[in-house]
Amino acid sequence: MPLPPSPPRLSIGAVAGKTVPRLADLPWLIGYAAAFAAAHQAAAGWGGQGFYSLLYPAAGVRLALLWSRGPRLTLAVMATELIVQTIAGIIVPGQAGWLTAANGVARPALTYGIVVWLVRHVAARSQSSLGVAPMPLGLAAVTAPVAATMAALPWTLFSPELTGVSGLRQTVASLTGFVVGDLLGVLLIAPPLLWVVHAWQYRPRALHRPTLRQLAGLAEAAVVLGAAIAASTLLAEIGLGVPAAPALLAVAWIGLRFGRTAGWCAIVIVAAIVLPFTATDLPVAERLALHMSLASIVVVGYLAGSFADAQARAQSDLSRRDRMLFQAERLKTLRAMSVAVIHEISQPLSTLAIEAKHLHEITVAADPDIAQTAALIDRKAAALSTLVRRLRRFGGRSVDEPSALPLSALVETVTALTRAEARAARVVVEVSPIDPDLVVFGQEIELAQAVVNLVRNAVQACDGRVALSAHQNDDRVVVMVANRCPDRREARPGMGVGALVARAIVEAHGGTVERVTHADGTICATLSLPRPGAET
Amino acid sequence: MTLPANQPDRAAVYVVDDDHDLGAAVARLLCRHGHAAEPFLDPVMLLSVYAEAPALCIVTDIMMGDLDGFGFADRVRMIDPAVAIVFMTAWPTTANAVDSVRRYGGLDYLEKPLDETRLLSAVDEGVAWSRRQRSIRARTAALSARERQVFDLLVQGHSNKAVADILGLSPKTVEDHRAAIVAKTGTNGLAQLIALAR
Repeated sequence: MPLPPSPPRLSIGAVAGKTVPRLADLPWLIGYAAAFAAAHQAAAGWGGQGFYSLLYPAAGVRLALLWSRGPRLTLAVMATELIVQTIAGIIVPGQAGWLTAANGVARPALTYGIVVWLVRHVAARSQSSLGVAPMPLGLAAVTAPVAATMAALPWTLFSPELTGVSGLRQTVASLTGFVVGDLLGVLLIAPPLLWVVHAWQYRPRALHRPTLRQLAGLAEAAVVLGAAIAASTLLAEIGLGVPAAPALLAVAWIGLRFGRTAGWCAIVIVAAIVLPFTATDLPVAERLALHMSLASIVVVGYLAGSFADAQARAQSDLSRRDRMLFQAERLKTLRAMSVAVIHEISQPLSTLAIEAKHLHEITVAADPDIAQTAALIDRKAAALSTLVRRLRRFGGRSVDEPSALPLSALVETVTALTRAEARAARVVVEVSPIDPDLVVFGQEIELAQAVVNLVRNAVQACDGRVALSAHQNDDRVVVMVANRCPDRREARPGMGVGALVARAIVEAHGGTVERVTHADGTICATLSLPRPGAET
Repeated sequence: MTLPANQPDRAAVYVVDDDHDLGAAVARLLCRHGHAAEPFLDPVMLLSVYAEAPALCIVTDIMMGDLDGFGFADRVRMIDPAVAIVFMTAWPTTANAVDSVRRYGGLDYLEKPLDETRLLSAVDEGVAWSRRQRSIRARTAALSARERQVFDLLVQGHSNKAVADILGLSPKTVEDHRAAIVAKTGTNGLAQLIALAR
């Protein structure tokens, strides 16, 4: 298990400071304003009384922005939407009811931000498969529209005259329209936007050619979806309405089988068939019913896909760890074996070397052929003896008892071992001068390995600078590895295992490893060991 | 100091190793280099007969069955403090290397496969050291208790008069003791006495 992140320290000042957008966010917000305005206009085709639209892609753009840039932009997003709607003439400051309009515009943005923050917060602490990516995004995409509708409920109930909706039937219809429109907008628009952002940040090396298995999957999905659409069309033709069940089952099947990309593609196909119908002059009730069916298909398809992806990811994490454990176990056995082999060899080799040398000495004057053979045996036995001694020094080191190690020498070893990798990653490892009297007690190779792992993690995650320092703190010796982390906190392959090994080693030495993320983005791994002699 | 092979007083050296072949090979090697070496498989057996036939030097393995090399060294020193001990091992560790020299009075700590030159020079050194120890012991063994006291003070650099003051004797008596000491140890002067005491 990777080290748990420490809970962020919350204070009013810090929160207020964080919600102010940085300069780097401005292009995003400007792009968002344009996209929001365009998406808002495009949605008008599916409008109706009491709700703006039954398909609201602007909500998808909003969620995509909040998800990729973080919920800290909530207030900025809210302000952007207010500005856009003011320019569009929906909010006219000073006119009667303009505050209600502004409230109606600001509320969804705020709710979306809160939902994204909550989902991320809960997912980071979750032990279940709901916390495994991309499940949190799926949850946020479904929860945010529902939450935004819930937030609108008090206004529609207690001030119906403000929203122009009256009566229970109209209220329910209005809210249903709202939630259906947002759900469709979010689930159809947010995933592709997020894929584009992700692909832009982590440029894929090359588009790989589809394999035979993928082609077979594609064929299977096409057959399933085609059959479902055919069944629905047939049922509609013979006057049984437009049943959603076949498409629902097909989309769920595709999502579970092939993940969320395939699920989303299936959703888009279904939506592309249904939406042109509903943009015409259908009665509101029929349109609402169709969009509700579509929304349930979309939700089921996307969640099923997300779930399948999360399962696949958890499974691959698990098998990677299994392989590593297996590898570590094999290495351990191999080392024990080689130490034993060296010992077993050195005993008879001693005899052999002594006797070979003697044979060589007494045959110097003998037949040249015999002398030559004896000399060769002697030379080879001597060479083998040297080899065994050297091997033992290299591999059998840890049969040595733990000893007192100057920390400065340990850190020197670590920097020497990590220099090449740091240079390749164009990272400077800064080592503060270390008190030459600072000593720890332990096995040199293991402790060096632990610090090397922490430094390597820092090198992989940092933005060009890693600070390595050591000091004494009461009866502990503390080694700190600090790096500043850029915003993206995607887990890289292999991360976590190094920290795991480091922690196991340090705990075996009676110490601890902690990782703290400071407010300024600095990540600090602290390795603390008991000072020798402190406990007596 | 290497003794010629044909000399009758070849130094007795014991080789203790639970690997019979290695013990025999080392013993034969030492025999070829002028020692009267003998291999022993079991340190306990050697201890039981050691008092009757003490050696000048013992080459012993550290990892052995019931009694390890260090335990064996302690017990053999109780019988004979003047024997030189050389350790050898197939499991070398820094801690053992330090212990073997500091705590168990070993002359050297040899890693298997053995470095022959180093083994031979360690044994030669051990034999020489042991011979010197034995001769000192032999020569000072004849001293009486009072002569021993005078000897100890003299070699610390005290004059006859000072020794007389410290022991409460007359300078004349000290003079007599000193003459007896020189006669018994076969030395001819204070310088040789001091050399003997080292």
